[in-house]
Amino acid sequence: MVNGFESILFEKRDGISYVTLNRPEYLNAFNLQMRDELYQILKAIKDDSDIKVAIFSGTGEKAFCAGADLHEFLTASSPIVAREVRRERDVWELFLSVTKPMLAVLHGFVLGSGLEIALCCDIRIASRDAQFGLPETTLGIIPAAGGTQTLSRLIGKANAMEMIFTGRLIGAEEALKLGLVNQAVPRQRLLPVSEELARRITSYKAQALCGAKKAVIRGFDQPLEQGLETEQRIGLIAAISK
Amino acid sequence: MVSDSVILRIEEHIGYVVLNRPESGNIVNQEMAYMFKDVCAKINQNAEIYVVVVTGAGETFCDGSELEKLLINGSMDADYAKTLIDDFSIATSVSSIDKPVIVAINGNAMGQGLELALACDIRYASDGSHFGLLQVSQGLIPMSGGTQRLPRLVGKGQALELILTARIIDTREALRIGLINKRVTKEMLNSEVEAVVKLIATKGPVALKLAKEAISRGLESSLEEGLGLEMDLYSLLQTTDDRREGIQAFLEKRQPKFKGQ
Repeated sequence: MVNGFESILFEKRDGISYVTLNRPEYLNAFNLQMRDELYQILKAIKDDSDIKVAIFSGTGEKAFCAGADLHEFLTASSPIVAREVRRERDVWELFLSVTKPMLAVLHGFVLGSGLEIALCCDIRIASRDAQFGLPETTLGIIPAAGGTQTLSRLIGKANAMEMIFTGRLIGAEEALKLGLVNQAVPRQRLLPVSEELARRITSYKAQALCGAKKAVIRGFDQPLEQGLETEQRIGLIAAISK
Repeated sequence: MVSDSVILRIEEHIGYVVLNRPESGNIVNQEMAYMFKDVCAKINQNAEIYVVVVTGAGETFCDGSELEKLLINGSMDADYAKTLIDDFSIATSVSSIDKPVIVAINGNAMGQGLELALACDIRYASDGSHFGLLQVSQGLIPMSGGTQRLPRLVGKGQALELILTARIIDTREALRIGLINKRVTKEMLNSEVEAVVKLIATKGPVALKLAKEAISRGLESSLEEGLGLEMDLYSLLQTTDDRREGIQAFLEKRQPKFKGQ
């Protein structure tokens, strides 16, 4: 067990790191402390060669993460300072730069930055009671932890726009249909199913996993022809350094 | 040496390409990859072929290729590995065909076999078929376009799951995630594929080619560039005899006789 964090539990077992959002009394709402701790944890996941795959989940019955902690919004620093902080220490950019496979294990409310955390992961497993939404426009703001980009790349432009414009919550079945989640399972099956996937992944070579993830993610934002070249380059490295 | 590991048959403007090593699960070997490349080039040169069907002989579509084995077992330098990968590039060969390509997946499509199917335009599969990109479990990654075409087809989330877990899925799941267009019974696969390719073969052959180009290239460009390309190709079609014939036939309430020019 590696720890020293308050708002997030961080453990490591058999090549799997477990990152558990841990403010259950606030529906695991994302606050500044969580942001800073998540930053350190993501760095650790990146650097620790014992970690092959990471599982993100939330404690408590009601939520994976209900979004940003709005109490802090009214005491927030000036936009200029906030933008500078973001540039210096961009937790979302760091999140998207991790080349190890990451799973999001989702139950209850998965809202705002909670959904954006899930969107930074590679595979999303949801329990049937999960509810998803990006309610930012209701507050007069927009999703800014990558949501406008990651969501549209995952479920398509029209579905992303509908979710963002309406702020509507959708259930696990609809999320499955949209491709927002990979699987929807009963709550008691949520962790076992996710761990089984994670264990399966840890049985493969770290270099192949990282290569495959890089090829998919980099290539997805390139024209096909360039993506095919990216795949060949990464594949060749995996093939000769087996 | 004459080999028949890939067969090309042409009937009524339809080119049928059959992977023909049923005793080995149609696993691609070097010779088969060369033959396949050759067949694809012939199809592009033959103006009589309007639409193409790719399928496998026997109970399997294609169980993968010998490339992975060669890469895993041999100790090799980067140049040799690169040459090997190029030699086995059947997906590149099929994607170079400028006509519509329908793949009739008549059984398992694994590894490079699935990557081949992904490089075709329309996928019909018979029940009992299974699909998987297993390369990561061998310490490799898919190298025939699997990491590129799968996410473009089924979305990033599903693609990452399939590639990172090297999981095998059935036709039901393949249909749900959009990996295949249609799922049919074993007995019905040929007739369903026949029905759609015969329908396609009644259309203007130049229009088919340019529609394919507009969609494939347009999806890889910005919307504005894509719309520009569509307009340009449409204008090009205005100059063909086939367009005149198509409109004439419609007005005379008869079937058009296209010539492909």
